Amino acid sequence: MDINITNLVKKYHHKTVVDIDHTQFRSATIYGVTGDNGAGKTTLLKIIAGLERYDAGEILYNGNPLEQGMMKKITYLSQTPYLMRTSVYENIVYPLKIRNIDPMIIQNKAKNIMEELQITELKDQLATQLSGGESQKVALARALVFDPEVLLLDEPTASIDPATIDTIEEAITKRNKLQKMTVIMISHNMDQVKRMCHEIVYMKKGKQINIKE
Amino acid sequence: MELLREGLKEALLLLIRFDKEVYSIIGLSIGLSFTSTVFSAFIGIPLGLYLGVKPFKFKKAFTRTIYTMMSLPPVVIGLLVALFLSRSGPLGTLGLLFTPTAMVIAQMILITPIILGITYNDAKQYGPAISQIGITLGASKFQTLKLLITEMRITLLIALVTGFGRAISEVGAVMIVGGNIKGHTRVMTTYIAMNNSMGNYAMAISMGIVLLLISFIVNTVLYRYVAGE
Repeated sequence: MDINITNLVKKYHHKTVVDIDHTQFRSATIYGVTGDNGAGKTTLLKIIAGLERYDAGEILYNGNPLEQGMMKKITYLSQTPYLMRTSVYENIVYPLKIRNIDPMIIQNKAKNIMEELQITELKDQLATQLSGGESQKVALARALVFDPEVLLLDEPTASIDPATIDTIEEAITKRNKLQKMTVIMISHNMDQVKRMCHEIVYMKKGKQINIKE
Repeated sequence: MELLREGLKEALLLLIRFDKEVYSIIGLSIGLSFTSTVFSAFIGIPLGLYLGVKPFKFKKAFTRTIYTMMSLPPVVIGLLVALFLSRSGPLGTLGLLFTPTAMVIAQMILITPIILGITYNDAKQYGPAISQIGITLGASKFQTLKLLITEMRITLLIALVTGFGRAISEVGAVMIVGGNIKGHTRVMTTYIAMNNSMGNYAMAISMGIVLLLISFIVNTVLYRYVAGE
């Protein structure tokens, strides 16, 4: 799975927020996206996730133009994810239910991901009543449960306790190693970026400056 | 106090006696309000969801317009509908003036902005986040719409109950376009207004109590549902 971006331009009210000549996100790699506030990091991720339109350029997913159908393989997790007004379990199994997956497989997958992220005891709780760290773990479980090929993370561990950060980082790196999942993660925490990422993308004023290993 | 006591007694007697006229008035009131709420919901809910989620130019101006329309003066609406439906009006050939259909039209004009406004307000606030979840988890457009409706179910229910409440308690517009014709367009509110002007306070109070009772039941059902959620 490769994502190739060429001449990508995104403007808001005539102001250019993303202007990338060319970049490539390769399969099974964890990218850390850093840069000042307003550098266009979130906009770039949202464009790849299909949440924002772009004004010019091309994004190829495995050589094919990025289309709505491919969104079933790409998922995006924001800093403050929306959890549905239902139980933690129902939140987690939602992506599997809409894919009409066998109920037994759904149960197993949900059980495994909840154990992995240490949220089994929250299973029947109302998702909207969880703490920040718990919410983030539930949202990550929901994003990982359908085995996406690409995981886009927008500061997933901001304002979260260290123990939860460890659990989240472990789950992400495990998926990257075992399932060759590509991860593109925005983070201002350079220690975290060094700890987790194979490559660092630095963005400034909408432009990608460079990628360092 | 004496009048209230008399009214209560009369209300009980009216209900216990199964007075045909009273029950037909109650039935017509509920039927008309229910019909106008359903039709308004078909317009207001999809439109409110769509406009709330989609970014578009002049959204702030639209929001102000909708909020203004939520408090349209009923008498003015009644007058306008009557002018349109009167024999010399543009829709006069339809012969709808002083019919229950005209009353439904007037009620719809009054409550559609209410249902739309309540739906739009919440869709504007939560809709983009809910749609984002649908897209990022791989839901189809239809599945995302279903998710949006499911997540906003309490708001939609509140919008419907508020619309129904406004419709059933409406008097000015339905009086003008319906004409308060006995056995044909007489509803609870016009019955109350008529009896009040005739000095039949007990009858007016008794029907008022029935109206309050309906409102109480509808709101109790809503409250229990919301509390359960």
